[in-house]
Amino acid sequence: MRRLFIGAGAVLSLFIVVILLMIVLHPSPGVLISSIFSDEITFAIWLSIATSVTSTLLCILVAVPASYALARYSFSGRNIINTILDMPLALPPIVAGVGLLLFFSQTPVGMALAAAGIEFVFTPLGIVIAQFFVNLPFMVRIMRSTFQSINPRYEHVARTLGCSEFQALWRVTFPMAKDGFLAGTVITWARGMGEFGAALMVAGATKMKTESLPVAVFLNMSTGNLDVATSAAAILIVIAVLSLYVFERFGGSSKL
Amino acid sequence: MLKIENISKDLGEFKLEDVSLEIEQGEYMVILGPTGAGKTIILETVAGIYPPDSGRIELNGGEITFADPKDRNISMVYQDFMLFPHLSVFENIAFGLTLKKIPQDELEKKVSEVAEIMGISHLLHRSVTNLSGGEKQRTAISRAIVLEPDVLLLDEPLSALDGRTRERLRKELKRLHTRYKTTVLHVTHNFEEVFSLADRVAVINKGRIIQTGVPDQVFSKPESHFIAEFVGSENIFRGRITSGSGCSVISVDGLKIVSNATGLEGEAYASVRPEDILLSREPLKTPARNSFEGAVESVTNNGTMVEIRIDAGIPFVTVLTRRGFHDIGIKEGDAVYLTFKAAAVHVFS
Repeated sequence: MRRLFIGAGAVLSLFIVVILLMIVLHPSPGVLISSIFSDEITFAIWLSIATSVTSTLLCILVAVPASYALARYSFSGRNIINTILDMPLALPPIVAGVGLLLFFSQTPVGMALAAAGIEFVFTPLGIVIAQFFVNLPFMVRIMRSTFQSINPRYEHVARTLGCSEFQALWRVTFPMAKDGFLAGTVITWARGMGEFGAALMVAGATKMKTESLPVAVFLNMSTGNLDVATSAAAILIVIAVLSLYVFERFGGSSKL
Repeated sequence: MLKIENISKDLGEFKLEDVSLEIEQGEYMVILGPTGAGKTIILETVAGIYPPDSGRIELNGGEITFADPKDRNISMVYQDFMLFPHLSVFENIAFGLTLKKIPQDELEKKVSEVAEIMGISHLLHRSVTNLSGGEKQRTAISRAIVLEPDVLLLDEPLSALDGRTRERLRKELKRLHTRYKTTVLHVTHNFEEVFSLADRVAVINKGRIIQTGVPDQVFSKPESHFIAEFVGSENIFRGRITSGSGCSVISVDGLKIVSNATGLEGEAYASVRPEDILLSREPLKTPARNSFEGAVESVTNNGTMVEIRIDAGIPFVTVLTRRGFHDIGIKEGDAVYLTFKAAAVHVFS
């Protein structure tokens, strides 16, 4: 039995490696390089980086205080907020995308924003908001478990030693949370780089306009341009491997 | 002087009910109670971590009930040290001074002075993560006292340490207090710490202070069943008491224990400390009012003392020094006589 079960694990690992190698090894190295430096893929790389960095910063801005509150304070409605914040995790991204599209195209809020020049539908901004919406729960969960793993008494001691509440947070809890923060940031960013379904609904798939790396894979596959598609996919694989390494290295006690 | 007046605080899991305590300037006060009695919340309320639901706290004449912890000049040391893991020993000790923005040379001088006193000078450059338990607690205490606090709060400061380290650090605390006369509020569930450190002790149970006094008084005259049991006088009996003019008699399962006159009637507890009971092979000719015959049930040698349990109709426990045990030469099953004075019987209801 032992052999059989270990064998199952080994076969599965082999399968994953083969699938990844299929993509990475599909284009010849020369084609891979020239595809990466083509206008289209260069654009997709920069668009993905710009949108994912922006959405990650937004996630940090919201998730750090929210997860601190969820880890430290007891207040009525905490469980409900916890559940709701986890909701997008279980939701298919494409469904989240439909909701976002409806919100930004049909509600007074969305229309007012558009009228003010902040246009989400079929723009790169739509990609940012889609990534933010889908990835926020990851950042919240990682930061929440990170803060929960830090005994609040560290802050208590810091406060008796002369810190204000905020100073205690800044000088003691944040430095102690830095590994979890790094892990959460990297995972959120990597997921932003790969976000497809929700972004597709809100921002569409317009070549050289809302063409992020995953969209570039999708568009080039649909037109049979396999070399370009696999080159974009190869870049996404490299990012996934690197971010997984960082997460495993620094994740420590934080849990997804 | 630290004055705690009628403090109540409900944290759900733990709570304080109407706690009042006065700690004199320079006094070493120990709060004794079992786990979960609310000991830590008292300290955290005094430190200002939790605002009390009601009551007030005064320090040196000024009210601090709702003052920010940073403005109280009260330092706290926890059982599990709570050293900041991202800082070195030096940086941990200097943490409070850094916030006060005092000049660097003065800061260094103060830190090295305290480190010298606590015997950790050689550790200053080290990371706090791989220190021994004793070194960690010395660092934590240094970090607290370097600020010269008006009150030092110690939350089970010795409980996480092994026997010998605990012993040594206990003496250290004593020495520190003698030297600096800092007002100390120390909570523990270990009454050895009470005897060796406390000027006065307050016993707490279920969020209430149930007795306050000098240790001898509290230990020899516990005012409730809980305290008597908790402080380890294991001869606690429940019986019917009748009081005459010269004495009271408590009848426990037919055995009549005589105490000094109490004026009590009805159901009551009587306690006798094990060391107040004399043990002999023959009846003793003494004026002591209580003398019972019994059989040795068990003999337990725990190093310096020998604990002997005797069945005299009701179970008694006595202790002898090793020398005394050797001299009397008894073993399990032997017939012995128990003798104790009426004054050694403490009655409460």
